[in-house]
Amino acid sequence: MQRRKSIKNIALLAGGLIVLPTWAKAWSLETLPPMALPLPTLEGNTLALIIEAIIPESDTKGAKSLGVPAFINTMLADCYEKKVVENVEKSLTRVEGIAQTKFQQGFAALPLAQKQALLLEIEKGEDKDLKDFYSLIKNLTIQGYTTSEYVMTTFLKYEMVPGHYHGCVPVKS
Amino acid sequence: MANLNINARKKNTYDAIVIGSGISGGWAAKELCDGGLKTLVLERGRDVKHIEDYPTANKHPWEFEHRGQVPLALRENYGRSFLREETLHWAIKADEQPFVQEKPFTWTRGYHVGGKSLLWARQTQRWSDFDFEGPARDGYAIDWPIRYADIAPWYSHVEKFAGISGNKDGLPHLPDGEFLPPIELNCVEQHLQGVLAKNYTDRQLIQGRCAHITSPQPIHLQQGRGKCQHRNLCNRGCPFGGYFSANASTLPWAAKTGKMTLRPDSVVHSIIFDEKKGKASGVRIIDANTKEMIEYYAKVIFVNAGAVNSNMILLNSISERFPTGLGNDSGVLGKYFTCHNYRGKANAQVEGFLDKTTSGKNPSNGYIPRFRNVLKQDTDFLRGYSIGIGAGRGTYSNRDGIGEDLKNQLLHPQLGNWGVSAWMQGECVPIESNHLRLHTELKDKYGIPQLITSVAWTDNDDKMVKDFQEQVEEMFSRAGFKNISANDTKSNPGSDIHEMGGIRMGADPKTSILNKWNQVHTCKNVFVTDGACMTSTGTQNPSLTYMAITARAANYAVGEFKKRNL
Repeated sequence: MQRRKSIKNIALLAGGLIVLPTWAKAWSLETLPPMALPLPTLEGNTLALIIEAIIPESDTKGAKSLGVPAFINTMLADCYEKKVVENVEKSLTRVEGIAQTKFQQGFAALPLAQKQALLLEIEKGEDKDLKDFYSLIKNLTIQGYTTSEYVMTTFLKYEMVPGHYHGCVPVKS
Repeated sequence: MANLNINARKKNTYDAIVIGSGISGGWAAKELCDGGLKTLVLERGRDVKHIEDYPTANKHPWEFEHRGQVPLALRENYGRSFLREETLHWAIKADEQPFVQEKPFTWTRGYHVGGKSLLWARQTQRWSDFDFEGPARDGYAIDWPIRYADIAPWYSHVEKFAGISGNKDGLPHLPDGEFLPPIELNCVEQHLQGVLAKNYTDRQLIQGRCAHITSPQPIHLQQGRGKCQHRNLCNRGCPFGGYFSANASTLPWAAKTGKMTLRPDSVVHSIIFDEKKGKASGVRIIDANTKEMIEYYAKVIFVNAGAVNSNMILLNSISERFPTGLGNDSGVLGKYFTCHNYRGKANAQVEGFLDKTTSGKNPSNGYIPRFRNVLKQDTDFLRGYSIGIGAGRGTYSNRDGIGEDLKNQLLHPQLGNWGVSAWMQGECVPIESNHLRLHTELKDKYGIPQLITSVAWTDNDDKMVKDFQEQVEEMFSRAGFKNISANDTKSNPGSDIHEMGGIRMGADPKTSILNKWNQVHTCKNVFVTDGACMTSTGTQNPSLTYMAITARAANYAVGEFKKRNL
């Protein structure tokens, strides 16, 4: 995050006035690898656990082992307004609070079923900030999961180069 | 010193200069080089070499860090754009060329070698005399100085080289061409085709002719291009050369002649007019990197900068002889500027066909050629519109729930119902008040006066959208489609990316800028053959017509050059 910010700042300062050396051109925002969590570690862990609770590991891979938490961090860092990210941060603290009130334990310590029950309650609840938070994280989790190489190539018949188009074929059962 | 100057001038002298490397500039380059002329091609943007400069062409969805979404910080740099993470390298930065919208206008630019030929929709329908004779028939705008017979052989010439797929449909108002095997219509498009055939005598649904190679011919293999692979990732640049772009086709061809010099990063400032000789002597550019002004000289100048920029260049080419812009004795330069009316969009749900689907990806779409006011004036608006038609069937997964259930739903998507959409491609009647001009004070970062756009829809456009909505609703109802919605998006002029006019062709120098060979009437060694030359707009996607007009004019220019007439 810090490195990302500093590069953004370099770009802003430059403002087209200075010509960056070649090494700096190659070192652009787009080419940076996914960064560490933009959020403090505790919340980061909670976020990763929520993502894994939404799509857990079973006999097939889950969101965590497919790198979805890192993808979501990248998206939050680069593609969302500050107020959205702030709501994520606040909501993660609140999720911890709910876990403590309801189960007298931290979210991390809850069994999977209880984590999921807690999240479903948020989804069906009335609290707009919490619902927005959960809806965003769920959608990003689904996006990261369904566009992963593993899911696309193993389950979704991904074909980059079909080589043909047939306009009217029977549906294969 | 004098010798030095002579040498410098000689070094910067070519037989021909082509301004712009896009769909029409590429054709000018190819034909002039094939004709033996030493040709300098100027492109304001960066170089883009076929295949090697398509950085995202073979990337999988999971290889995009943001899965296609453009990061906020980059969005600020690039302004509003239809481009996504996969294609952002074609976007121009917001500060590249600010302009003043006196009336709202959407201007999409492709500033790199190949221009918008990398980004186009690749639909290639011929014009007919019903289009060329439109203005003469109803008296709005001026008569074209050419007819279908003038351009037909040049359509054939460019179609064979570019590779156009389609059916021979035998329609007088949408002439057949040199077609490679067609791409198929799908089940629902075929159904609509049948419904139209049964219910109407004035309209047909055909497969759109498109610039995709479905069966490579020797001429395509010679260009190093192959069959379309139906990836539908065209806008990233096609590593197979499956569709026509200047980068894959005309520019490498021109380069192979050894006659072409391509100079990217060259922002054209103006055309130099030699007052003594009474003709143009060259082009002034600003080097985009050094901001240095450099002059290049040639006997033949082709202006293919894209319709808006071609207007700007002529308007900025001020001399004693032409104080208001090159060739502008008539005062019509920049006027009668227009585009296509793409405001009407429709969609509907389709019941049935549930045992059928499609396989592979479709780079084309169905097409209903213009059916209004073809044989006679039969509506309360002038001219008409064609309609693009696309049907398809997607998949969806239930996103409810959490955990193992959700996972299973996502791993087993269901086939959705068929849907169908229609989009309008309306002819706009050019009017004098719709114009481009240069700002008298504001300049861009190259010191070039900024553009002012003053282009608005007319009452005729409004009526045409309404008719489109009614007609699509009727056709879709007759086809049994459900939940039909036909809307006026009220999108800005220019949203179609079919800017045309401002430097129109005509027989009379008092009302036009270009003659029938696309030469400036009063400065015969300057040719304008991109969208700016269009006297009227037709309803067809215009690129094929620009290609044909360019090839025709360039071959004429080669002849005149060799006869020493230029």
